[in-house]
Amino acid sequence: MVGREDATSDSMTGEVRAPAPPGINLALYWHLMRLRARTRLQYRASLVLAWISQGFGYAGTFASIWVILNRFGGLGGWSWPEMAFLLGFHTFAYAIGAVFTFTQFRGMDAMVREGEFDMLLVRPVNPWSFIVFSGVDLQYGSHFVLGAGLMITGAAALPLAWDAGLMLRFLASLLSAALLTGAMFTIIGAFAFVLGRSRYVFGLYFDLWELSRYPIGIYTAPLQIILFTVLPFAYMSFVPVSVMIGKPVPLLGGAAPVLALAAGPILALMAALFWRACLRRHQDIGG
Amino acid sequence: MPAASPAIGQADLIRPVRARDSPVTPLSQNPHRGDGPKGILLMPPIIDARTVSKVFRQRQSTGGFSGALRGFFAPVTKEVRAVEEISFAIEAGEAVGYLGPNGAGKSTMIKMMTGILAPSSGSLSVLGRRPIEERIANAREIGVVFGQRSQLWWDLPLNDSFDLARHIYRLPEAQFKASRAEMVAMLSLESFIDRPVRQLSLGQRMRAEIAMALLHAPKILFLDEPTIGLDVVAKDVVRKFLARINRERATTIILTTHDLQDIEEICPRLIMVDDGRLLFDGPLPALRTTFGARRRLTLDFSADPGELILDGARPLPSEGLRRDFEIADDERSLIDLIRALPAGAPLSDARLHEPGIEEVIRTHYQGRSA
Repeated sequence: MVGREDATSDSMTGEVRAPAPPGINLALYWHLMRLRARTRLQYRASLVLAWISQGFGYAGTFASIWVILNRFGGLGGWSWPEMAFLLGFHTFAYAIGAVFTFTQFRGMDAMVREGEFDMLLVRPVNPWSFIVFSGVDLQYGSHFVLGAGLMITGAAALPLAWDAGLMLRFLASLLSAALLTGAMFTIIGAFAFVLGRSRYVFGLYFDLWELSRYPIGIYTAPLQIILFTVLPFAYMSFVPVSVMIGKPVPLLGGAAPVLALAAGPILALMAALFWRACLRRHQDIGG
Repeated sequence: MPAASPAIGQADLIRPVRARDSPVTPLSQNPHRGDGPKGILLMPPIIDARTVSKVFRQRQSTGGFSGALRGFFAPVTKEVRAVEEISFAIEAGEAVGYLGPNGAGKSTMIKMMTGILAPSSGSLSVLGRRPIEERIANAREIGVVFGQRSQLWWDLPLNDSFDLARHIYRLPEAQFKASRAEMVAMLSLESFIDRPVRQLSLGQRMRAEIAMALLHAPKILFLDEPTIGLDVVAKDVVRKFLARINRERATTIILTTHDLQDIEEICPRLIMVDDGRLLFDGPLPALRTTFGARRRLTLDFSADPGELILDGARPLPSEGLRRDFEIADDERSLIDLIRALPAGAPLSDARLHEPGIEEVIRTHYQGRSA
């Protein structure tokens, strides 16, 4: 993505310009995150309110799932500790991905329509990275607290041997699931280049996202196939958590341990290609 | 107002002067020229557009609910040629006004030169690169100000936005500080540099936008409607600054505007477009001749002079003590004209009216849409 970066002799003035440092501008991304955090912290009360309201919303949902599981003894063969680990993992991994992508790409269609996106193209930056890092969202505090709390609650009651191998798998699974979230939001955001409006796609996303909280085995076979393939929500938590706690994964079988870690990077690559193609189309026929 | 001359309003009679055929800035006056051993020009134009076109597909709506329904299931699109075979060459250090009515393709051309949009056909080179293919390298050497978009960080002090520019362009600390100090002094930003951008007036914000676009010392500054919405004083500050930056730093300026005064004060050269096509490219004073605009002579008499025939002047509808004429010959002076009056004509006052640029252009566009 980086253009020609060589030292250029200014033919007009004879002045020789220093070459721009090659590669990714990490200092810029770090600076953007700090600017964004400072901006958000100017409205501290609203940030705390967002944490509290979101926290209560999630806590309510999790409590109702807990009640159902206690009343009926399980859900699709999953006990409460297993479910707690699944829900915690789902919330935590989603939040990591969403911090970098959700609010950023939710506003993508307005950004394209109102020409703000064009302002990024006239700067020597990768527009995707600029959007992601300049929009880092601090609103996910309650997601992390609740997610971690549920995972700890579940893991404490499960016979898991937390050796280096499992720890590594856990972290890699979280990263893969976070990448999956980021990739999905990127794909939806890229639709803005093609459709003009993409915000409504987020509604569809969250309908399916709700389904991905639960063990995929409780759904009918056609829906399972969709969640494992076309709309790969199964990899957000069900597949990686099933692999970690040793539960069978329908349809995938022995491929599950590899796919649990590979799904995120694969979808991220596809999202990058899709984003690039849509951007190219925007530059060719948009305006 | 009726057409001031038969040529006005007849696009087929207008012969645009193309930069390629007749360079506008004499090369001998170009401070950046680089002559070869035999006086051959070595330096290519800083911007070189050759038969550049941009075509969009636009959905057509037939109106009403049934039209909307039809459009949903079987959308009908039409081709919109926003820019049509435009050619020009801009030398380093020039200041060029890019003028045209709404929808003439001004912004589309700017977007192509800045790497936002790809041309549909033709070739476009900016600083020796194809902007769309080498967007990042191009962006490093240009500055862009869109009058209706901001690149400043809304909630934070202006200084933070400047600091962001340092990171975006990877400027060494010393270079950044020197550049910022220069901009702050030249644009009088000192009093509000620590204020959040959201609290700045429109004029202050535009000055800040321009400063931000110049911190990395770009070779070309593109401005799309930089004075839109500004009051008279703020416009004046922006115009004077842009003229100065062009003169002192030799920054090439390409500016689109609706306000002809921007062009009169900043840009010695004008490119005029309409319906995506190039209408005129040349020095501002040549516009009048190209569009066939004529000077007008008004004579006041103390007594009715009766029927009046003036050599080289066409009488315009007028009667009584005041008579108007259209002067075909640009070389004839007021004295020549008065001398041509019949002896003893009771003349009390005489005025020669030079048509303003705005009048010339307005008359042209009115003639076109009639």
